[in-house]
Amino acid sequence: MTHLTILLDGLAYGMVLFIISVGLTVTMGLMRVVNLAHGAFAMIGGYAASVLVASGFPFAAAAALAVIGVALIGAVAELTIYRPLYRKGELPQSLMTFGFTFVVIATLTTLFGTGMRTLPIPAALDGLVDLGFRAYPLYRLFLIAVGLALFGLLWVAVDGTLIGARLRAAVDNPRMSQAVGVNVNLLFTLTFAAGCALAAFGAVVGAQLLPLDPYYALRYLVLFLVVVGVGGLGNFKGSFVAAIVLGIVETSCKYLVPSLAPYIFYSLVLALLLWKPAGLMPARSAR
Amino acid sequence: MRNATNIRGMARWCLASAAGVLLAAATTAAQADTVKVGVVGPFSGPFARWGTQFQQAIDVYQKQHGKSVNGHTIEIIYRDSGGPDPVRSKQITQQLITRDRVNILGGYVFTPNVVAVGDLVTEAKIPLVMFNTPTAAIIRKMPYAVRVSHTLPEVAEPIATWALQNGVKRVVTAVSDYTPGFDSEAAFIAKFKEGGGEVLESIRIPLATTDFSPFFERVLQQKPDALYIFGPGGPPTVAMVNTWASRLKPAGIKLLCTSETMQIDLPQIGKAALGVVSSFHYTETVDNPLNVALKKDLVEMFGPNTVPDLASVAAYDGMELIYRAVAKFGPKLTAEQAMGLWKGMKWDSPRGPMEIDPKDGDMIQNVYLRRVEERDGKLVNINIHTFPMVRDPWKQKHPQ
Repeated sequence: MTHLTILLDGLAYGMVLFIISVGLTVTMGLMRVVNLAHGAFAMIGGYAASVLVASGFPFAAAAALAVIGVALIGAVAELTIYRPLYRKGELPQSLMTFGFTFVVIATLTTLFGTGMRTLPIPAALDGLVDLGFRAYPLYRLFLIAVGLALFGLLWVAVDGTLIGARLRAAVDNPRMSQAVGVNVNLLFTLTFAAGCALAAFGAVVGAQLLPLDPYYALRYLVLFLVVVGVGGLGNFKGSFVAAIVLGIVETSCKYLVPSLAPYIFYSLVLALLLWKPAGLMPARSAR
Repeated sequence: MRNATNIRGMARWCLASAAGVLLAAATTAAQADTVKVGVVGPFSGPFARWGTQFQQAIDVYQKQHGKSVNGHTIEIIYRDSGGPDPVRSKQITQQLITRDRVNILGGYVFTPNVVAVGDLVTEAKIPLVMFNTPTAAIIRKMPYAVRVSHTLPEVAEPIATWALQNGVKRVVTAVSDYTPGFDSEAAFIAKFKEGGGEVLESIRIPLATTDFSPFFERVLQQKPDALYIFGPGGPPTVAMVNTWASRLKPAGIKLLCTSETMQIDLPQIGKAALGVVSSFHYTETVDNPLNVALKKDLVEMFGPNTVPDLASVAAYDGMELIYRAVAKFGPKLTAEQAMGLWKGMKWDSPRGPMEIDPKDGDMIQNVYLRRVEERDGKLVNINIHTFPMVRDPWKQKHPQ
């Protein structure tokens, strides 16, 4: 039964990784921008929700407002900071987005100090549920449910709608899409805003597993990049598979052989990337 | 016309420079009696809270005792070391010694930062008051240094003793995978085994860990009476306590620790911290007059949410040492004089009675066993037992 617990733990951890990284895989895959500021957008969302909850908003309302707010910030950032970067190389992109991350860190430090920021989960999600074989934290089941729901939603949106079709087309071949009349500029802005919104959403619901502080944006950046890299750029299904696999593998290693867990985790990442350098399920254009 | 203007200009210039000379003379006279104290600490980056706490406690001390002592003005020069960065630490210390010509050095938080300046400080013969750096051994290599914080074994051993006396027979230890974690783990385990306790497993958790549930699930399977932890501070420590509360607390497994439940961090941990037992050299709720005054002044000067922590009391006591040395020896004090005064010195601190070990310059102080409880809607540490006047056990076990 312990193994089932470990599986649930791994699944919950993987879901947080998925929720928070999926935005990055779409923006990096679509725009070919090395977006190292993804964690910064996530962090802004987490802080915003935390401030709203502290000033009396219910959790759900605070989360929604934070996500919308970050989407708007993301749209503005796309128009002002990211657009000039598209034609630049990867080094200027990394430097610019990394620099942007430091600006966000400094801003949040000035406003809220270096300490941690609490974002308490609503009382309804706090506590244990009896699963028959053991009492399990409800919050983790909630994370699994949210991750699955988001995956389903993205599947419908990307594979089943016209905007999704345009998005896939633009990811695969931006110039051809533009030639056949897709407004790629608008699509980029909207997608980038959506990617930032997903980051913020992940930061808000995952705050218990990945606690918020001003260095959030750097602390977890490697994790996000690993998920995106292993999953393959531009394909949310790849991110889903990668996040679940890595989450479960890391969690089981920590349980079974604690001292070797990080070695096994990063060896697996290395092996996967050697086997499939473009990731498990890259978008067509990235192959 | 032109000449006239020039002459007038000349006169004005002469007057101005004369005034300038006078002013400079006056300033030099005042400066002759200024004692410069360099304080090195993290004032930016993820560890900036240390610097803030140092500075606020020093401000409170200067408010309570004045900015001069026996007519000698005390000038504090703060320098930012960032995080653990030995190169930078050495560089700014060198600047403080050679350019600012400080008489006394204080501060320092991280072991590598203080190790890096050891030779420099010894060579320059500048008396040094270490505000933190809890690695037991380092002070031996520094003849002109005293330490006003604590050592890891000093606080880890008492909780092992207390656990054995309170029905804890079998423990698992889980510490962060870095040197302070190892020191804390070794001291706890040695003392616990010495008293007949059983250590089922010692887990070392990577520093980058975010999800602690699998480690703690492993602890749960072994059904110990208690879990001893040592975290790196910040988000991972909060996550450790939260994971204990949701997984191990319901199974009746106690949580034992040292610095994890400082009052300044309790709001972030939340109610998960209730019932955690820790041992530490400073409890924020002790009601000696000095501590009451420190808390009152911190709140008055820096706002209602200001809470003192180990950094605050260390800086406060560091100032006490510095003021006493300056009062006695003035600006010309030597490192030998300062050491002669400080070693064996006794005084009252917000943490309780203090003494500096005449042998090695480390603290002899009370270690408090505390439990996190809720009082008036606030989470606080309440003392449940006091180990009086504990000295660093590591140096007793490792004689030179």
